[in-house]
Amino acid sequence: MSSTPPLSRPVFDPFAHHPSLATLRTACHARDWGTVSDFFAALGDEDERAYASSVVADLPGSEHLLEQASAAHPGDPLPRTLLADRYIRIGWSIRSNARASKVSEAQFGQFHSWLRRAEGLLIEVCAEHPAYALAWCHRVTTARGLQLGASEARRRYDRLAEHHPHHYAAQAKLLQQLCPKWGGSWEAAEGFARACAADAPPGGNNGALVAEVHMERWLDLDEGPDAAHMSAHAVRDELLAAARRSVLHPEYRPGFHWVTAHGHFAAALSLGRHHAEAAPHFRALGNMAGTFPWTYLGDQEAAFIKHRKTALAKG
Amino acid sequence: MAEGIIETEVDGIRTVLAHRPGPVTAGLLFRVGRADETLATSGITHLVEHLALHGHGMSDLHYNGATAGTHTHFHVQGGDDEIVEYLNGVCASLRDLPLHRLETEKEILRTEAAGRGAGPQHDMALWRYGAQGHGLTSYQELGLRRADATAVSDWARTRFTRENAVLWITSGTLPEGLDLRLPSGSWQPLPPVTSALPRTPAYIKGDDGVVVLDAVVRRSTAASVFSAVLGKALFRDLRQKGGYSYTAESDYTPRDAEFATITAVADSLPAKQDAVVGGFVDVLAALRVGRIEQADLDAARTAVLKQYEIPDLAAAKLPSYALGLLTRHPVQSDEEHIAELRALTVADLHAVAREVSANALLKVPGGEADWAGYVAAPSDSAELLTGSRHAYLADDTAALLIAPEGVSLTSPGNRVTVRYAECAVMLAYPDGGRHLIGNDGFSLSVEPTLYRMDAADLARIDAGVPPHAVVPMPPRDPQRIPGPPPERDREGRKDRARVHATPASPGSPASMWVFGVLAFLWGLVALVATSEEFDSTLYAAPDWAFVVFLWLLEAGLLFPVVTALRRRRRVA
Repeated sequence: MSSTPPLSRPVFDPFAHHPSLATLRTACHARDWGTVSDFFAALGDEDERAYASSVVADLPGSEHLLEQASAAHPGDPLPRTLLADRYIRIGWSIRSNARASKVSEAQFGQFHSWLRRAEGLLIEVCAEHPAYALAWCHRVTTARGLQLGASEARRRYDRLAEHHPHHYAAQAKLLQQLCPKWGGSWEAAEGFARACAADAPPGGNNGALVAEVHMERWLDLDEGPDAAHMSAHAVRDELLAAARRSVLHPEYRPGFHWVTAHGHFAAALSLGRHHAEAAPHFRALGNMAGTFPWTYLGDQEAAFIKHRKTALAKG
Repeated sequence: MAEGIIETEVDGIRTVLAHRPGPVTAGLLFRVGRADETLATSGITHLVEHLALHGHGMSDLHYNGATAGTHTHFHVQGGDDEIVEYLNGVCASLRDLPLHRLETEKEILRTEAAGRGAGPQHDMALWRYGAQGHGLTSYQELGLRRADATAVSDWARTRFTRENAVLWITSGTLPEGLDLRLPSGSWQPLPPVTSALPRTPAYIKGDDGVVVLDAVVRRSTAASVFSAVLGKALFRDLRQKGGYSYTAESDYTPRDAEFATITAVADSLPAKQDAVVGGFVDVLAALRVGRIEQADLDAARTAVLKQYEIPDLAAAKLPSYALGLLTRHPVQSDEEHIAELRALTVADLHAVAREVSANALLKVPGGEADWAGYVAAPSDSAELLTGSRHAYLADDTAALLIAPEGVSLTSPGNRVTVRYAECAVMLAYPDGGRHLIGNDGFSLSVEPTLYRMDAADLARIDAGVPPHAVVPMPPRDPQRIPGPPPERDREGRKDRARVHATPASPGSPASMWVFGVLAFLWGLVALVATSEEFDSTLYAAPDWAFVVFLWLLEAGLLFPVVTALRRRRRVA
């Protein structure tokens, strides 16, 4: 974790959070598939692979390496699955994260076309390797982007959970689908987040989903009611209990997702003015911040600095 | 020749016999069915079948007649005397049809059709084949009104002939007293296979609650076993594992001597239907990439092999054996079939799975399946004809185009063309209404009350359609004749304004336009009125009840338009 002085400016660069990822970036730039493949093979669990996949997907031009590798290793599910994630990312960057009403028809056309390319690869990978978590995880995203319906997104998650019941990255993706902005309901979203948190073994990241769903709700509410929601005692108690079983549990082992997980608790508690309770999370984070959730708060850097300062002063 | 089956001849009809104790079963098969008709003669085979059975109406005998796509089957069970009486009676009627019953039997057939529910796969054939050949099984028997005594007699004389028939009887010897004299003719080759699907795998939009897939594959032991494995995989995934479906199954039915149709169906509650589509796609994808369980193959194989353990095997196989002779499908011996079954491998099923995937037509509830690599089946015609333009009265962006070679209907985002030479049927109503269906399955309605056209224009269409495609229809209930659309306030249209009590039903293209124009006009009124309500120089405060009323009415007008647009697709 952090050894930097706690009050320096936040760093949003995942390669600074996790120096080991530099190997992955270098290998992608050098079009060195062997090293990329070894990197994924060496990762301890599926959640770590999902994070590493998103890192590769964010690298502009990585599709060239992945297309080559897919052709060269037709039996290997990894290059096709990473390529699908890259296509999803390209498509989503065209769509942008704006509300659907602000996205043009042409943008939607290209967005869907990239997602269909991704989905074609993923259908094949899941057909060949029905227990391959990474592909199912991305298919939860394609189901949402292609608007294949809530029951289909859920089916994909269930196919994943059959073999990997506590996949935090996929749970976070399904949680998006269950929110009202994608046609779900707060009842469904909160219920899912609570169930994931409760079912997970102690010390998992899954408890952070409880903070995530409250952040989503906060974002959705108008000014006034949003603060009231976050400051409610019930919400605070739920956040504290989830954190104790998750990132604050003695068995918690920080992996790639830890900056995001702590960040959600820190942000959610800060927005409810539970500054002292947010402090342990800020202390753990030091100057490390993920785009999510901080981008939800406007100027992500300013928001992080402001809430960290208040939290550390009180707790 | 299969084991235990004796081949002989009765009055020139090829006959197969196999002994079975107990009551005798017999069947007389003819190589003629719905796929041999045209849309304008559709139903004529069924009509002949009914006329041939008319004489048996009052007997207690277990008998039946069935008209399928490529054959017609007269079927009976009883003692020797009863069999003889039934078969002799059928042939006597076929030699000399009771034509005095013609109109009555047509009426019975129309009643039968009205009571017959359409299964979820009823329209698959029309999308695959169009309004001809094998596609005709999707349609109502539209040709019945055209079938007169001459046409029916000709059809019986040329198709229900001894060379075009096969008889089977579950008896070691021929019963005494058979008189099955029939006219002489020739064996009828199977109908040509047409296509209305330029690209596959393709999808069409279906109704809520059911997913259907069909595919045409080469007939083989592997293909029939594959169908069983597909059914099992669907059942396991969609019902046992997912709990999305109640029914999930697959069927294999020979289409002709060379090809068979595999049809898989899965139902669902509307809330789960998206998951059923996804699961269906994934089950098929798994089989396509070769992930086929050896245990599933073994179970399906065992089930087929069990059929060889029943007593009186030869007699049990007689109907399908006879059908094989009728369609000239090479008949396999039991040993050959068993050896083929035993040798079947997962790789053989994998080859069929690839064939099915490449050829599939998928019907998905509501949505689309392009995300899964299926292309949309054509939803409008490729061309518009150049001809005289007859604007839709309510909105001149829509029009009929009457050309020397056919008729087109154009509206924004939609075009349908029926060429006279490719016209499968034109239903002609005495009030001037015409409904044309092209061989490709696209259809359009010409309603003189809805377009700027006169009697001479209609006469050009009537003259263009080949007489053999015209079906004269009885007068329509005045309620079902679409009234003229409400007019926009334009000069030169008033003379046509004729207020009609009932608009067309919501969902029809005509009413879509009617409601569309009304919704547009009322939308303008509502917009102006609402803005005035919020204008503080006119009113102190807006009258909310009034504003809500304005927009509720607008919503009511828009609803049928949106519904109709969503439903717009080819209609049988």
